[in-house]
Amino acid sequence: MSGNTEYYTCAGCSCLCDDIEIDLDGENAKTVKTACRRGSNIFLEYKENRAEPAIEGRKVEFEEAIKKAQELIEKSKSLAIYGMDTIPIEAQKVAIELAEGKEAYIDNSSSYCLGDFVEMVLKKELPTATFDDVKDYAYVIFYWGVDPHNSLPRHMSRYTYYPRGKKRQRGYEEDRYLVVADIRKSHTAMLVAKNARFIQVDDDLKLVDAFIKVIDKQMPEKYADDAVRVIREMQKADFNVIMGGLGLRYGLKGNYEKFKEMINKMNEVAKVYFIPAGCHANMRGFNEVLFEKTGFVNKYSFKDGESSLDYAFFELLKNDKVDTTLIIGSDPVNSLPFEISKKLAKINTIVVDPRKSFTTQIAKVVIPSAISGVEQGGTMIRSDGVRVKVNSLFEREINDVYVLERLKEVVA
Amino acid sequence: MAITPMEIYKLLPKTNCKKCGEQTCMSFAFKLVNRERKLEECTPLFEEEKYARQREKLIEYLKPLEEATETGLIVKEELCVGCGNCVVVCPVHVEKDPYGCGSGLAPKTDKLILKVENGVVHVLDMDMCRRYGKNRVLCVVCRENCPTDAISFLEG
Ligand code: SF4
Ligand code: SF4
Ligand code: SF4
Ligand code: SF4
Repeated sequence: MSGNTEYYTCAGCSCLCDDIEIDLDGENAKTVKTACRRGSNIFLEYKENRAEPAIEGRKVEFEEAIKKAQELIEKSKSLAIYGMDTIPIEAQKVAIELAEGKEAYIDNSSSYCLGDFVEMVLKKELPTATFDDVKDYAYVIFYWGVDPHNSLPRHMSRYTYYPRGKKRQRGYEEDRYLVVADIRKSHTAMLVAKNARFIQVDDDLKLVDAFIKVIDKQMPEKYADDAVRVIREMQKADFNVIMGGLGLRYGLKGNYEKFKEMINKMNEVAKVYFIPAGCHANMRGFNEVLFEKTGFVNKYSFKDGESSLDYAFFELLKNDKVDTTLIIGSDPVNSLPFEISKKLAKINTIVVDPRKSFTTQIAKVVIPSAISGVEQGGTMIRSDGVRVKVNSLFEREINDVYVLERLKEVVA
Repeated sequence: MAITPMEIYKLLPKTNCKKCGEQTCMSFAFKLVNRERKLEECTPLFEEEKYARQREKLIEYLKPLEEATETGLIVKEELCVGCGNCVVVCPVHVEKDPYGCGSGLAPKTDKLILKVENGVVHVLDMDMCRRYGKNRVLCVVCRENCPTDAISFLEG
């Protein structure tokens, strides 16, 4: 509130809101201000459902769990490291070094999420922008295949559509044009009112095609009115942005060339940027750190020196390619089909996680760690690529960097 | 559910007897919504047995009035995800706190109408709302930008 208020950072999603005020009552968060419901709960409930060090379901001392994990990693002939979407890049880097030392596979959720988009952005195949610029300058705010109201609750109110910015002082109704393209009328789509457009898409590729055709002055098969209108709006301003989510990623069915062509075409007649709208707090961080080191953003094999669909974590499990997995801050048992997740119970699964999960229940070794934003700080990369210093409520000695450094001793 | 004068009117005696001090039942209905009158002031409704059923229905129908804030704004916390849309768009906030709320950030003042705390929106000071007081206007900006209907107004 006043000049010396301390603001904490929420790592609940890739918005990484760093304007959270917290009133403490001893070690408990009593009041969490400005964070959304999901973010607030992370602080309010951080003591609940915590993981404990365990070996094969038996509670052990922390040190014993570390030793056991080191032993399993040491004797592993084929190791996969997975997760890391919610830990700071300082810890991600240690995990990558461990993977390198063990010639292991390494992957995060982005292989099935927005990794491809992040890669295109990092390779400069898609022009991109930061949220600060979006807030100050953007006119057309285009959400494609994403429902930020639910997956990124403060995205619109903090960064894009609603806040007033330097060149956008008159508020959303006059200074912004909202476009929502989705297969269904999502909560975000319900915000489409004056000076806005909802495009109900059942075929994303046809919408891509419509934009290309309209710019080429040809008649598209579908979505002609939508494309004409959106392009016309884009031409009214010198800054427009498309935020693409999972719906777009799957809707394109791998036809990224077409999508890039569309963005390029749009930029012949207007100024259009692209920002991936992924959900996990530091998914993009992992992509960037791995990219800096290897030139690839995910599903990488240090043994083969390349990235391949075969090295995606789920494929590795499906094809019985690994004898040991190290899963950090992720709950694949909850998201995978049972046929695949049951394999995690058969091989040596080591889980590093601050909380109990389905995966900790089946793991050979569980090592508890710290919750980002609550007990560990560090650096995370927001979905627009901006590095955010995570100011955490407390700092615990036992955090992901510490745990991973200890596991890395195996390859030292 | 919105409370409308028309729905209230339908349940009143519709005799225009003026016992409530209003010229017509319709104008009494309007004042009920604005909370300038209380239902009990329509004495026939409470004294005459033939209105018993209508009376019960009206009491039930007007219940939200008691829960609503001065301006008729109702917040349903269970529907709120704390997105902050309402806080950022409120024209009063934009004017009073341009670099906090108005810019999408944490508020820089406590003199606000709405505030997100512990993940849900709370009403701080309804006196500041544009729907309040003598020169009130029928602002609906906060409600319009809440896609989960966590904010509603009595009159719809
Ligand atoms: S929008 Fe995301 S980062 Fe911001 S408070 Fe909510 S969960 Fe946390
Ligand atoms: S007292 Fe009741 S019946 Fe008579 S005018 Fe008023 S509202 Fe109508
Ligand atoms: S009331 Fe609606 S708009 Fe306001 S914070 Fe809650 S969900 Fe968002
Ligand atoms: S009705 Fe208007 S002035 Fe009142 S809180 Fe909502 S947006 Fe603000």
